[in-house]
Amino acid sequence: MAHEVELQTAGNMWKVLVKPGDTVKAGDTLFIMEVMKMEVPHEAPADGTVAAVNVSEGEEGLDAGFVAVVIE
Amino acid sequence: MLEVLKPGLETSIQDWPGRQGYLKFGIPWSGPMDDWSFRLANLLVGNAPGAAALECQFIGPSLKFQRDGVFALTGADMQAKLDGRPVPAWESIAAKAGQTLELSFAKLGARTYVAIAGGFANEIVFGSRATFHKGGIGGIEGHAIKAGQVLPVAPGSGAPGRRVKAAARPSIVADKRWSIEVCRGPNDDWIDEAGHRRFVDTEWKLSSKSDRGGYRLEGPDWSFTERAYNKPPEHGSEPGNIVDHGYPLGAINLAGQTPIILVNDWPDGGGFINPYTVPSCAFWKLGQSKPGELYRFKVVTVEEAQALAREIAALCSVASIEQ
Repeated sequence: MAHEVELQTAGNMWKVLVKPGDTVKAGDTLFIMEVMKMEVPHEAPADGTVAAVNVSEGEEGLDAGFVAVVIE
Repeated sequence: MLEVLKPGLETSIQDWPGRQGYLKFGIPWSGPMDDWSFRLANLLVGNAPGAAALECQFIGPSLKFQRDGVFALTGADMQAKLDGRPVPAWESIAAKAGQTLELSFAKLGARTYVAIAGGFANEIVFGSRATFHKGGIGGIEGHAIKAGQVLPVAPGSGAPGRRVKAAARPSIVADKRWSIEVCRGPNDDWIDEAGHRRFVDTEWKLSSKSDRGGYRLEGPDWSFTERAYNKPPEHGSEPGNIVDHGYPLGAINLAGQTPIILVNDWPDGGGFINPYTVPSCAFWKLGQSKPGELYRFKVVTVEEAQALAREIAALCSVASIEQ
């Protein structure tokens, strides 16, 4: 089953810690956003393999709700 | 009493108009950034408009009611749910002991206000319950709420089913482009004509490196009048340097070439010029905009800004509430 990880906030992409093909465990940090000088880490909702990464480091003005990572 | 299950992104208790009278000690007012939505949230639950309520930003908290209560949500849409069922904003709602209010991310707007009948009863510090994070003052132990805390609520007698009339709500823009009122000064005579034209002709981008102290703007460089260069040495070496002076709330503070709007938790003074000032009537727009959104500034007179503030104040009254 595919899990879509959506951005929880508008903001910038500070760090992307995974790439397609990586194996992740539930709770692993996938990427960290930055908004209003605060870091917002996003974690894997389930064990699986990263199928898609739709964001890159340094991207600005991202919207909440955008599907950033897909895990299968 | 409300138990914090998830804190959200620096969710804080604020009151309005905040901690006034201590600026001479460097303590800013704090208080809600969108004071329009804030006041209406309190009025919905039968509180005084300035009673202590929660300011949620970008990502909201999850809160568990430890006893029955009446709450209201205003401002940004954080897709709130009570025990998993969507609940409307701009309306007072009854919650039973044991129910959980869950806020998600801000869809439209940036800040949501959660008022609860009775208001939060955290400690009053220097005359206010507002949280000033950087100073560690007010709120709960001086900071944003944390998971596991229990937020004290004073007894209240709000009624559910009260709504804010549509015409009395602030219109949060969906296209990410805001028109922000500004007044000239106090240091507008340090900027040359080309610089002033560039300021009003530019769509300034709100930087992510902004917080409740300052809103950093990205845009073109500024240019200055003779006065900025030909000055006594105590003013400093850069054209935007001036001998230390007080900064008004809302000042567009020119740090080198970077304009920073000084907002609720602002530094009270320093050595940069302030060519323009955002008046209080436009603050709700700052509170509801997100990084990456665009500001175009509209110059108004002080009288026009005061008239707009009076219009908002008139809307923040019980006359805007319907059963």
